[in-house]
Amino acid sequence: MTVSSVKTTCPYCGVGCGVNLSYSKEPSDTVLPVSGDDQHPANFGRLCVKGSSLAQTITLDDRMLTPQVNGKPSSWEHATDVISHKIRDVIAKHGPNAFAFYLSGQILTEDYYVANKLAKGFIGTANVDTNSRLCMASAVVGYKRAFGSDTVPCNYEDLERCDLLIMVGSNAAWTHPVLFQRIVAAKAKRPEMRVVVIDPRRTATCDVADLHLAITPGSDAAIFSYLLNDTAQHESLDHGFIDSHTDNFDLALNQAQASTPDLETTAEFCNIAPHELNLLCELWRKTDKTVTFYSQGVNQSSSGVDKCNAIINCHLATGRIGKEGAGPFSITGQPNAMGGREVGGLANQLAAHMDFATPGAQDLVKRFWNAPNMATENGLKAVDLFQAMEQGDVKIVWIMSTNPMVSIPDTAQVQRALEKCDLVIVSDVKAHTDTTAYADVLLPATGWSEKDGTVTNSERRISRQRGLLPAPEQAMHDWQSICDVAKKLGYQSAFSYSSPHEIFAEHAALSTFENNGKRDFDIGVFKNISREQYDQFTPIQWPVTQQAPYGTARMFEDKHFYTPNGRAQFFPITPRLPQAHPSKQYPLTLNTGRIRDQWHTMTRTGDAAVLARHISQPFVEIHPQDALQYDIQDKALVTLTSPHGRVIVKAKISDETAQGSVFVPIHWTKQFASKSVISALVPPVVDPLSGQPESKHAQAAVSPIKNATYGSLISETELNLSDCLYWCKVPSEFGHRYEVAWPEKIPLSDLKSRFDSHSILDLQWLEYSNPINHQTRLAGVQNDHLKIVIYLSDSPTVSTTDWLISRLSLQQSLSDSERMALLVGKPVDMEDKGEIVCACFQVGTTQIEKSVKQGACSIESLGIELKCGTNCGSCIPELKALITSNVETES
Amino acid sequence: MANQSKACARLVIVGGGMAGSKLAQDAMASELNYHITLISEESQVGYNRIMLSALLAKDITENDMLLVDILKMSQSGMHIIAGDPAEAVDISNKQVLLKSGRQIAYDKLVFATGSRASQLTIEGSLAPNVMGFRNWRDTEILSNLDNKDHVSVIGGGLLGLEAAVGLAKKGHPVSVYHRSKWLLNRQLDNNAAKLLQSTLEQYGIVFHLGQTPERLQQETAGHVVAVECNGHTQPTQLVVMATGITPEVALAERSGINVNRAIVVDAQMRTSHPDIFALGECCEFDSHTFGLVAPIWNQIKVLLQTLNEQPSVFEIEAVPTKLKVSGINLFSVGKIEPDEDDVCLCYTDIATHHYRKLLVNGDQLVGAILYGNVADGSWYFQLMQNKTNVSDILDTLIFGEAYCCQNVA
Repeated sequence: MTVSSVKTTCPYCGVGCGVNLSYSKEPSDTVLPVSGDDQHPANFGRLCVKGSSLAQTITLDDRMLTPQVNGKPSSWEHATDVISHKIRDVIAKHGPNAFAFYLSGQILTEDYYVANKLAKGFIGTANVDTNSRLCMASAVVGYKRAFGSDTVPCNYEDLERCDLLIMVGSNAAWTHPVLFQRIVAAKAKRPEMRVVVIDPRRTATCDVADLHLAITPGSDAAIFSYLLNDTAQHESLDHGFIDSHTDNFDLALNQAQASTPDLETTAEFCNIAPHELNLLCELWRKTDKTVTFYSQGVNQSSSGVDKCNAIINCHLATGRIGKEGAGPFSITGQPNAMGGREVGGLANQLAAHMDFATPGAQDLVKRFWNAPNMATENGLKAVDLFQAMEQGDVKIVWIMSTNPMVSIPDTAQVQRALEKCDLVIVSDVKAHTDTTAYADVLLPATGWSEKDGTVTNSERRISRQRGLLPAPEQAMHDWQSICDVAKKLGYQSAFSYSSPHEIFAEHAALSTFENNGKRDFDIGVFKNISREQYDQFTPIQWPVTQQAPYGTARMFEDKHFYTPNGRAQFFPITPRLPQAHPSKQYPLTLNTGRIRDQWHTMTRTGDAAVLARHISQPFVEIHPQDALQYDIQDKALVTLTSPHGRVIVKAKISDETAQGSVFVPIHWTKQFASKSVISALVPPVVDPLSGQPESKHAQAAVSPIKNATYGSLISETELNLSDCLYWCKVPSEFGHRYEVAWPEKIPLSDLKSRFDSHSILDLQWLEYSNPINHQTRLAGVQNDHLKIVIYLSDSPTVSTTDWLISRLSLQQSLSDSERMALLVGKPVDMEDKGEIVCACFQVGTTQIEKSVKQGACSIESLGIELKCGTNCGSCIPELKALITSNVETES
Repeated sequence: MANQSKACARLVIVGGGMAGSKLAQDAMASELNYHITLISEESQVGYNRIMLSALLAKDITENDMLLVDILKMSQSGMHIIAGDPAEAVDISNKQVLLKSGRQIAYDKLVFATGSRASQLTIEGSLAPNVMGFRNWRDTEILSNLDNKDHVSVIGGGLLGLEAAVGLAKKGHPVSVYHRSKWLLNRQLDNNAAKLLQSTLEQYGIVFHLGQTPERLQQETAGHVVAVECNGHTQPTQLVVMATGITPEVALAERSGINVNRAIVVDAQMRTSHPDIFALGECCEFDSHTFGLVAPIWNQIKVLLQTLNEQPSVFEIEAVPTKLKVSGINLFSVGKIEPDEDDVCLCYTDIATHHYRKLLVNGDQLVGAILYGNVADGSWYFQLMQNKTNVSDILDTLIFGEAYCCQNVA
């Protein structure tokens, strides 16, 4: 067996875990299951279930393999000709701002660097924005306002060493599972460590919380405003720090006293009990080893920047920064949002942590790049950019590695914008996404396992993503395609890189160019990095300078900030609630987020069947009282409407979401479900400073869908289900699995003829009908091999389908008992697992409940018995809930 | 007085078919102290009539036909009279008169006279080459036919199909005429019957469904030479009438015993006369007559208890049907078609001829038809007999015991 291996970095969340990726040439070309890199300081060998399943996402299914121009396969030569001619043409007629890049926190730093350089230095536009705008733009502005630089002060060890961890707007248990497991382990080791979760929902993260503040959505800033007020009242301020290293404390405190004068008013504003808020204040006063860990729940807000500064104010007021176990810690959602920030790949940045407004920066960068056409002012931020497209101001957009038709608010507007553009270029690995559907030119990109470059994680740690597999067919690295176009635009010398290490070296050189400690981002030691050194590169935290050659674990230990006077800045914060308000027509407050086992728009996690086991369909979580009021049944389909759009999802009744609020996950696209793109509901409201959309807040109405016929379909071939009221494609090991609904009853004969037409030969049909349970089941068999299974019911119960799916791949003929089992869903002797909870070991609710009832009443004993929860651990909160509910049932 | 007479009492059984001979054997094996006389019209006594079709098809030999051990019975002192039918009963003198003129005295008399094939009354139905398929002799005649002869079977019930298959397996070209729209219409629904028909067609049997022959064409000597049906004339060498059975009640009627469709008995199998009993195909209880062995075996048990002056009550129960044709598996018990408040569960795999239909009323199984794979038949029958509440296993009921037993336990 010839095995080649690389150490690389996970392409999902911002934790940036090290991954061992191996490939076996013999006996057949196979990517082996990945493992965590035990040397990598982000994860020390741990991986979450998404990371563990990476090998399963390496597939050529629906891979984009050749360039396409206007729907026809093309050569790179022709495609880049079309692009460069159009760019020249449009710039000549409409100026450089008619061109825009819309990039992604998932491309590598090297890709980002050349895109930013081309746009801002050579085409002459700052219209370089990215999906990172949707995820942490508010955190960037918050840091910059306070510190004068986009500097994340903390590191992951601080999460383990703090005495108080406040998690705000983060369901880390599901979104950053490896970090969460580190926190869980640290708390187990030091039970005196306290964890407070501030989140409108009772998420899996609350499992580790000593205190959960289930605040009114969007009221976070008031908590920290009051915390500042309370800290001052109790004389717990760090006056020495405030006086020597900060400005504007009084302004901030005065505003805090005005906005949140007392406990009761603040608690009422946030809709929590006063004693809960008081408890937080007491915990805060008890220790200065405090980390505030915040994520999209804070950032995706029309007042996201203010929320960040409300948090930072509290840390500055108590000197809780630049110390072990202390600091305001923004966690990014994407693997390389940080790398994008470092190169300046946002419309309101220039390059290398310099802004257009930074004195001398434009000239510095112009000289460094030897740039002929420097942009001179901020470009358009994501939401504005798509509005400018619709208005006809931006005529060319090059979208790279992202799916704005699913992620940017007001999907209908995004569609209009793309339709209006003269030229939409989409670089992607997938042939079919909601966004590729609107492309004029498609460029096949390399994917993880092929890409070669660097990423930066949430603790400023730069790691290598190393390519192991060759680029398939005509797929090309993004930096190469950008350079090819740049050269055709006439900029040969500035874009003739032969390897990503040359780009990285230039990026490093720019970071240190005339820096002299003025800018936080400096990795000057790498400015002459060789290919060999680049290949040997080990994870390191920037800044990396002559003074700090091994990197910098923690920032601001010297209490020096990057503002002109070197002092951190307080900002007076007036807490503001989200812009959309409940109305009679749209009474419910809609919150959005991720689920445990999917990533973004499922373009990669959607390839791993194992990741669809935990949650397989789009849903809305709704409180039991609201469900009662709106006549919603659990698991049944409902319509969600907002002033911007309408979706169909399944109801999940749960008191984890507060009454009056609903929660929906963001992942399902038109590739996976008929009408479940959640951004269609979200208003295009943004933070005025960061431009980050308020994607966590919409107003919506819910209504039941009655009398539907629900179906589960498993088919060898892809099915056209356009006549369904609802369909959802569930990733499966073999064939195609769908959950569907029709608006009314469907006679058996109709159904058969409908699917007979899908196959060339006549199918033999097996039928089962049970009018008592309203079940109808069909299996289509051809030459003793299963082709299609259809289970219908008037109630939305979904059956376990693993065994059925495995029959699709069966080489030998179906036996008589297997034929009948096709309509049962399982062979006689097979245990029914129930819904999968532990994705790593495929352990389901039925098995867990059985074990608990037989006495396995702890996580440890369940782990011994069933192995569940013993790998990534992200199912442990659910295991605990199952233990509790089943022990309660017993007693 | 009763005890005295019982000590030396004479039990006379008229009819040496399955019911009579089994009763005789069981009575002897029991503690009843009777002297038993078994009177048989046929010369073969105590054979298993059910197996005639298998014998015809040569699936079994004559040795396999025995139902009871006649030799042992007669060695044990039972008086067995074969080939000498009873002609009359003198109730007042408690005597049975045989065709040979012998008179047999009894203390207790049992009618087990069985039934005869019903005759379709159409032109030609009395011709010499029109026969039933009821007894050993019928089977012998059919067995000795030249297998090139075409046989027409009238009636697509159990008996007709068994005869048709037996003949077809012997090599005869066979046509079956059946009045109903589908075969075994008293045991199967249309779906199961279609599967059965397609299997039987593979044996070469030609079916004419929903049709009754209007006339049997005879040649001058009186033999039937063709069947006329629905404008179609089918040349034939033999006609087997299997249009049902008629209880044999002539003797009872002549003797002045109360007869309706059959000899009326009470729950102790007693006729209108206190010392005279009836069982099997010739009796009628609660407006039911009987053609399957299971209830008849129960009647034997009840009658033995009654003769032993023990309390016992005969009850009507659903009885499963199986077709005694090797290679064909069908099972039917209880209701065939749903009433208004019954629900019908259905499983069909036409390609492999596997079909199941269950009728459920409330929480009870009230009918089951299985075709192809009948392994679960006895379990369904048990659920019906035990009146098991099936509401918790409705999801998997039709898939059989194996899928339900985990849930039931």
